[in-house]
This record gives sequence, structure tokens and C-alpha cells, in this order.
Amino acid sequence: MLRTAHKHDHAVSAKRSWNVVVFSVGGKKLAARTEDVGGIAPWVEPLPVPSRTPFVGAMLKRDKDVMPVYDLGERLSRHPEGDTLLCLVARHVDGPMAICIDGVIPSLHNVDVAQILPSKRLDLETLGSFSEEGQDIEIVALQRLGRNRQDHVGS
Amino acid sequence: MSLRGHHIVTTAVVQTARFLVVRFGTILCALPSQGVRGVLTPAEAGTGSQVTSVGITYQDIDLASRLGVTLDLANPDMRVVLYSNGQTNGAVRVEAVIGMIEVDREECRPLPAHFQHEERTWISGTTMFKDQLVLILTPEWVLGELGEVVTAGTGPRSLSAS
Repeated sequence: MLRTAHKHDHAVSAKRSWNVVVFSVGGKKLAARTEDVGGIAPWVEPLPVPSRTPFVGAMLKRDKDVMPVYDLGERLSRHPEGDTLLCLVARHVDGPMAICIDGVIPSLHNVDVAQILPSKRLDLETLGSFSEEGQDIEIVALQRLGRNRQDHVGS
Repeated sequence: MSLRGHHIVTTAVVQTARFLVVRFGTILCALPSQGVRGVLTPAEAGTGSQVTSVGITYQDIDLASRLGVTLDLANPDMRVVLYSNGQTNGAVRVEAVIGMIEVDREECRPLPAHFQHEERTWISGTTMFKDQLVLILTPEWVLGELGEVVTAGTGPRSLSAS
């Protein structure tokens, strides 16, 4: 039983922090859970696609994969910055999706769940936010990006 | 023939699809080949709002603007593609005709599920041509039968480059 209890404690403690990737779009810092990120690669020129789906108006080819582009910059009214922009591949529920982010190399952070607060903003799908160096960083719910719903910490 | 004397019927499955690949600016589009009735130079097509070829009249169709592209009228490669689905005849001005391609159907991918609105009836999917992504357009949208007017989105790179 002790061993079982110990394992249980270990499992609980493992859930007490989230690994997140911190990136930026137009200078605004954002985060995403590492398991929601499929990779980071150099940005390539996308192919514009006539579309009425908000913020989904292009596709790009990456290796053998063809994926839609989600214009997070436009949604946040920001232009990605940097001479060489980067492509963040989101593991969206509908399949991989490319997002253009700033040229600053994203960093890995471990955030205590207790530090993650429900997000106040309703205009972006988030899992919550945390503060770092006095700056609020939203954790974008990449899996549900574009589905206009809010999720909360604790799931 | 089978042992009982019946003919064995086999269903022929078409494994390939043929397209005419054309270019609008930097966008490559694939038009299903069965609708292609001819390709003319601008001089052959004339400057009117319709083109008559072999006794059939084709109405001018501004597909470029629906794709958000302004055609370079001075481009010597510009052509007019005569296109028809048997009911509607259209003359589509393109910046260049790349050529006819035949691809395996498995190389034609459906439009990703992230595209959720009318565009699903405009674009049937994508394929590749010389390592470039090509949009496969539906004949109904090409011919303006769906009635929509829309401009193609611009990617973040385009925005940042502007």
C-alpha cells in the first residue's frame, strides 16, 4: 500500500506543473503546452487560399505534409517580427496547423499549476495564464484554436 | 469467364486524375481536365466580355480577383482558358498555362478540416506539381455557378513583407 501511495503521490506531484513552450507573436509573449506543439521550423512562404473561415486563409508544405496556416498574428492584430520568422506546428484536433511566430527561438518553461490563473480574455482560446517578470503570459489552447471556447486549468 | 459460364465483371477504378495547371501570380491552380475546351492567346480571345470559339460563346470569368490576384496583363505567357461543364461556358484569363498533369488520386488530398465554410465547395483539395502546392478548384466555382465572391487570404509572411 505504501508503494501504491507513493506512486499516487508521485503522479499527483507530476501533475502539479506544466511544461510550456514560450514564444512570441509581434512581440507579445504567449505559451502553449509542450504536448500541443508538433515542432518549430523556419517559416516558408504559404499558398493563399480563398476562404471564409476566420484566420485560416493559407496552406503551406512542410516536408511531405501539407497543413493549413492559422493567422494568429492577424487575430491578435500583430505582425510577426524578425528577419527570419518561425513556424510553430500546432497539434490541433483537426490535424497539424502552422502558425507564424516571431523569429525569437521559443523557450521551455516549467510552470507550477498553482501559478496558472483562469484567463480573463474571452477573445482567444486559452488554458489560463501565468506571470513571469511582471508580464502575463496566456497559455494558448492550440488544440482548439479557432473554436472560440475557453478551457480551464484542472482538466 | 467463370466455371458456371458467367462473365466475371470487374469494375475499372480510375486511379489517376488529370488537370490543367495554371498560374495566377504565385498561386498554382488545377482545373479538372474534362472541362477544358481550349487555350487561346489574348490576341486570339480578343478584348470583349465574351469569347466565341467553334461556334460556342464563353463568358469572361474573373477568377484571378476571386483568388485575390491582380493579373499582369503585360505578361507574354498570359492565356485564356476556355472552360465548360456542359451548362456554363467560361473564358478564364490566367497568367500562364503550366501544362496538363496526370496524378494518382492518392496524391490528391482533400482540403484540411480546418477550412470549415463555403471554401470547401470552391476547392476540392490540393496536389503537388514539381514540389509546389497546387489548389484543385471545383468546376462550379471556376464557372461562377456558386455565386460567391471572395478574396484569398494573405499569409503572415505576406503581411510582414508588406
